[in-house]
Amino acid sequence: MTPTLLQAADWLFVADNLGLLLRGTAVTVALTAASILLGFVVGFPAGALEVYGSGLPKRAVERAGVVLRGTPLLVIIMMLYFVVSVSDSAFATATAALGLRSAAYQTQIFRGALQSVDEGQLEAARAVAMSRFEAIRHVVVPQALRRSVPGFQNEFTIVLKDTSIAIVIGIGELLTTGQNLYEGGRSTAALEIFLAVSLIYFVLTFATNRSLDRLSDRYAVPEGTA
Amino acid sequence: MTRPLLDIDDLYKSYGSEDVLEGVDLEMDRGDVTVLIGPSGSGKSTLLRCVNQLTDIDSGTVALDGTDVTRPEADVNELRKQVGMVFQDFNLFAHLTALGNVTLGPRKVLGMDADEARERGREHLEQVGLLDQADSYPAELSGGQQQRVGIARALAMDPELLLFDEPTSALDPELVGEVVDVMRDLADRGITMLVVSHEMGFARSAASDIVFLDDGEIVEHGPPEQLFETPEADRTREFLGRLQTEHEGTP
Repeated sequence: MTPTLLQAADWLFVADNLGLLLRGTAVTVALTAASILLGFVVGFPAGALEVYGSGLPKRAVERAGVVLRGTPLLVIIMMLYFVVSVSDSAFATATAALGLRSAAYQTQIFRGALQSVDEGQLEAARAVAMSRFEAIRHVVVPQALRRSVPGFQNEFTIVLKDTSIAIVIGIGELLTTGQNLYEGGRSTAALEIFLAVSLIYFVLTFATNRSLDRLSDRYAVPEGTA
Repeated sequence: MTRPLLDIDDLYKSYGSEDVLEGVDLEMDRGDVTVLIGPSGSGKSTLLRCVNQLTDIDSGTVALDGTDVTRPEADVNELRKQVGMVFQDFNLFAHLTALGNVTLGPRKVLGMDADEARERGREHLEQVGLLDQADSYPAELSGGQQQRVGIARALAMDPELLLFDEPTSALDPELVGEVVDVMRDLADRGITMLVVSHEMGFARSAASDIVFLDDGEIVEHGPPEQLFETPEADRTREFLGRLQTEHEGTP
């Protein structure tokens, strides 16, 4: 028997279990959304702190980022689940791990975007009597958010695919669902299952990137010599 | 005697070991148009930036309408509501249209409602001849147009005093005229202006006072005809001579 060959019967098996795979997909999407959101809520202020902050808060954020970016995601997730036990819920633990790791990367995306806005505009905003906070909020942030879209698209794609690492703590996301299908159901269908799973990941990343492109075009502002 | 609108007294400023301003005294009355000239590095821009506190001073005082704005407890944003600034590099808000640039300050700082801010913003754009570009973004405007939007943005706050930091230095020569025309118009309307510029045409025709600054000190101060025709100090004569040669040197 050559189990790796594509077989019609195996494709039928995939089709029969499409509902299960889609349920796994829903978990993957939820995990991605929660992690990206956590990453944004923590990462955006952290990026602003790295640019505009000073003293202890700035140093703390910078060091936490270095540690998080320097640790494999698999290690973070296993530490949080098996050692620290932040939560009994595997989903919450995976969200915390993916979200914190993403926060560390989103911090860098927003730091770069904030720094890219010309200092003179901040000064011009101060000159019309805005406070530093108002100037950053009304002048720098709207431009920085636009410029952070390409970096954010990368980050989104990475987080979506890295949700598969949650397999090690037994969450029923897309990859886990696929694995259960061939281990508990039909072992010859492994190739077909992995192809189907890959296709679903691809469709998700592609569709989201396209949507973000649209969003970015819609709020685009002519750029140039200014 | 009425008190001066701007009263700078014994102002000192240094960056590290470099002394930029060394005891500057300057007074301006309402309606004055004072043009600051001097070699690069003489402290002109620093002096201007000390007036609206974009640069901290080391010692001395800056008083606006009798209020010392440099004392530690002074509210710098109250000061800046009354002192507008036009920058060499325009520094327009790149994500906002011309009208958006002009209305942002009145809306966010003065609390004006959006409709009123737009209506008044249009008036200010009309004043600088750019009402037809209200919906253009900075990147779609020429340098001269951008600088006129910069002027309208400063006017929109209805300031007591307008500061101009080399407003035409970043412009192509053929675009200088449109900005100078707007500035001359403001001067004619009695707006108090402190201008760092070497546009001699503007200085001769619109200025009430010329101040020559060199090495952080005011060397000479007087009405344009006196300072340009019969300068007293050697340093002034030398500088004016150099300036003239440069201008004749460029076609």
